[in-house]
Amino acid sequence: MPGSLVGGRVLNNLSEAAVHPPAIRTEHLSKRYGSLLALDDLDLTVDAGEVFGFLGPNGAGKSTTIRLLLGLARPTAGQAWIFGTAAADVATAHQRLAYVPADVTLWPQLTGAEILELLGATGPGVDVAYRDELVDRFALDLSKPGRAYSTGNRQKVALIAAFATRAPLLVLDEPTAGLDPLMEREFRRAVNEARDTGSTVFLSSHQLAEVEAVCDRVGILRAGRLVEVATIPELRRLHRTEVLVRFAGPVPELTGVAGIDGVQVDGAALRFTLTGPPGPALRALAGADLTTLTMREPTLEEIFLDYYGEGSR
Amino acid sequence: MTAIGGGGAARAAVTRLALRQVRRPALVVSAVTAGVTAVVVAGYESTAGTALDAAALAALAENPAVRTLFGEPFALDTPGGFTVWRTGTVLAVLLSVWGVLATTRVTRGEEESGRWDLLLAGRLTVPAVLGRHLAVLNAAVVIAGAAAGIVLVAAGTPPGGALRYAAGLVLVALFAVATALLTAQVMPTRAGASGSALAVLGVGMLARMVGDGVAALGWLRWLSPYGLLALVRPYRDDRLLPLLVLAGAALLVGAAATALAGRRDVRAGLVAAPAGRPPRKWLLGTVDGFAVRRMSRPLAGWSAGIGAYFLLIGLLATSMTDFLSDNPRFAELAAQAGFTELGSVRGYTASLFVLLAVPVGVFAASRLAEFVAAETDGRLTSLYAQPISRNRLLTAETLATLGGVAVLVTVAATATWLGAYLVDAPLPLAAALAGTWHVLPVVLLCLGAAILALGWLPRATAAVGVLPAIGGFLLQVLADSADLPGWVPAISPFTHLAAVPAESPAWPAWWIMVGIAVLAAALGRLGHRRRDLLG
Repeated sequence: MPGSLVGGRVLNNLSEAAVHPPAIRTEHLSKRYGSLLALDDLDLTVDAGEVFGFLGPNGAGKSTTIRLLLGLARPTAGQAWIFGTAAADVATAHQRLAYVPADVTLWPQLTGAEILELLGATGPGVDVAYRDELVDRFALDLSKPGRAYSTGNRQKVALIAAFATRAPLLVLDEPTAGLDPLMEREFRRAVNEARDTGSTVFLSSHQLAEVEAVCDRVGILRAGRLVEVATIPELRRLHRTEVLVRFAGPVPELTGVAGIDGVQVDGAALRFTLTGPPGPALRALAGADLTTLTMREPTLEEIFLDYYGEGSR
Repeated sequence: MTAIGGGGAARAAVTRLALRQVRRPALVVSAVTAGVTAVVVAGYESTAGTALDAAALAALAENPAVRTLFGEPFALDTPGGFTVWRTGTVLAVLLSVWGVLATTRVTRGEEESGRWDLLLAGRLTVPAVLGRHLAVLNAAVVIAGAAAGIVLVAAGTPPGGALRYAAGLVLVALFAVATALLTAQVMPTRAGASGSALAVLGVGMLARMVGDGVAALGWLRWLSPYGLLALVRPYRDDRLLPLLVLAGAALLVGAAATALAGRRDVRAGLVAAPAGRPPRKWLLGTVDGFAVRRMSRPLAGWSAGIGAYFLLIGLLATSMTDFLSDNPRFAELAAQAGFTELGSVRGYTASLFVLLAVPVGVFAASRLAEFVAAETDGRLTSLYAQPISRNRLLTAETLATLGGVAVLVTVAATATWLGAYLVDAPLPLAAALAGTWHVLPVVLLCLGAAILALGWLPRATAAVGVLPAIGGFLLQVLADSADLPGWVPAISPFTHLAAVPAESPAWPAWWIMVGIAVLAAALGRLGHRRRDLLG
């Protein structure tokens, strides 16, 4: 009924935004370190309940963005909000988030159990039963002092502390860089559990298979600028689909057809990449005698390389 | 051929790395050593010449309490001898404590942080890398000690005495560096290594003080680096044997450290850190509690050192009053020279309570410097990511530090009172407490300066934080020993401290200093809230 009127719908959307503000919102967020513009005019909205992948090569500004979102660094220009609260107001904003840094440093003299106790007591809350379950699942020995943990185990301590908060927003900065494949599987499980309970996950990562497996949307950062925000299927549509066609008769001439690139003829087979709508290519093929037509969508890795590697040529 | 050339290049690269890490503080220490020596030797005529005649100075110096504090005096009638007596102990402590802290910082500290893993993955072994650092640190203290000798020669004092004195300073510092290198092989953490090496120096200082103050225990000085330095007696006896003993001790300790370095794993000490233990969850519930918990171990060390020193001060309290009642002529002379209250137990303890501001101020600055170190290496990141404002975290650290300061000044008062009580010296506990708590403004100035630096220039927190205590104290020493314009000593907070419990407190100056400290802290908090976090 509220949607039956245009005015009512607008009103409804407005109150919706006030009651359920986006988990993360930035406006013209910029950060300059001396002459280096680390982050340039970032406008980004991550909705509540979303699992958002944040991609970019080393030095693209991912960690800078996260430090700004957490209020660890102050923006040169622009602003960021966490669930509608200014990111600088950490005492309020951090009531609803948990964070795993890229490089976890623990207090060397505190054991894993003591660190979890400290972070649980001073944090936004902790689900003790879930924490114990995660300790079990990640196979972490809590009796060791911080200095004795390996990189992967330090990361596990931080991940367990973060997931156990059941916070509405999890900000994870390359959280699986030191984990073995078994532990990475546990990590994906934990992310899915967080999604199922309605949490938002902001995941910065180089593990593209992982991002592909767990993320709803990805943002791609290059040299401090956001170059793309899309769902993974959308990204695929925007990018080259690899097409393999086999013919019974003569191979048609495809050069110059809109969207077709990189044509390779291999006897009676034809290989090319297709970008954008497939209509012109299909029309060009329509007259030929096709035996098979295989289309393969690009992996995220290929898309990523498109942005930063061969694709930028 | 290539291998030899490559090894040489690798060693040279490590030498350069060590040099980069020590050169700036080494320059500061050398400049301070040269500067203090120059000012005191240049001011000799104006102080020793006019304030008291040499015989009176010698009489004052024969007092066991003064000997305990400044060491055994000799050749006070020469500019060189006076300078050595007035500045020798202070400079030896400065050089040796800096030597310990610099050594553990560039060796165990770098190793603990994991930065040496990369270095040691190359072709150099642990002993080789340590050897390069040892060479650079040794060169640094040689330069600092030599600076004092050169100044004394330039001032026209006999070169033989200047050479013995400079050699003594250098050897004390070399012994300190070697000791720190040894503890850095034994202990798995930088804090543990620094603490153990400083404890060795502290015991050495106590042995020197007891040996100087109590004639029957004079032999104790042969067991202490500071005692051996005093036994050289530059400008009078110019003895060589104590220097040889010091050199032998430094060599022995250094050789032991190098030998042990090859027998341990990288990042581990000979004392193994426990691999696991049941959780101890005390004081982990709040950030305030956690700040107290992190402070508890260093505070225990500082309390032990300060407590031992002031217990000794209390035990020696009667020797001063006895001496003055036996020498009424001297009491008059001392009164003319401004040492009016030195003859009473209260006057004697008051002049020593003022000194307490230096270690307690350094303690306060060190807590804030540790807070910055935890921010820089990322230990604090997980707390900054909690729903806790930066102001709240800094407040917790400040309050814990203030609590530690209260403990230290109370320990000093109680230890002095206990010592005085044991020798039947008239010093009520309330008077001792009034005296030690009275130095609080200088300590608060250190804390305020450290917070100011933490907000605006975080990497300089330690240096700026200790400035009111160490800088102020050195300025006071200079002002006592040289003819400086009136406004120079006025900068030192020590100038504005009354000698409590001998005098009544100078409250206006007291509160003004507290006010400046609070203002500095408020400005620092503002900067801390606005800046980017490090690391």
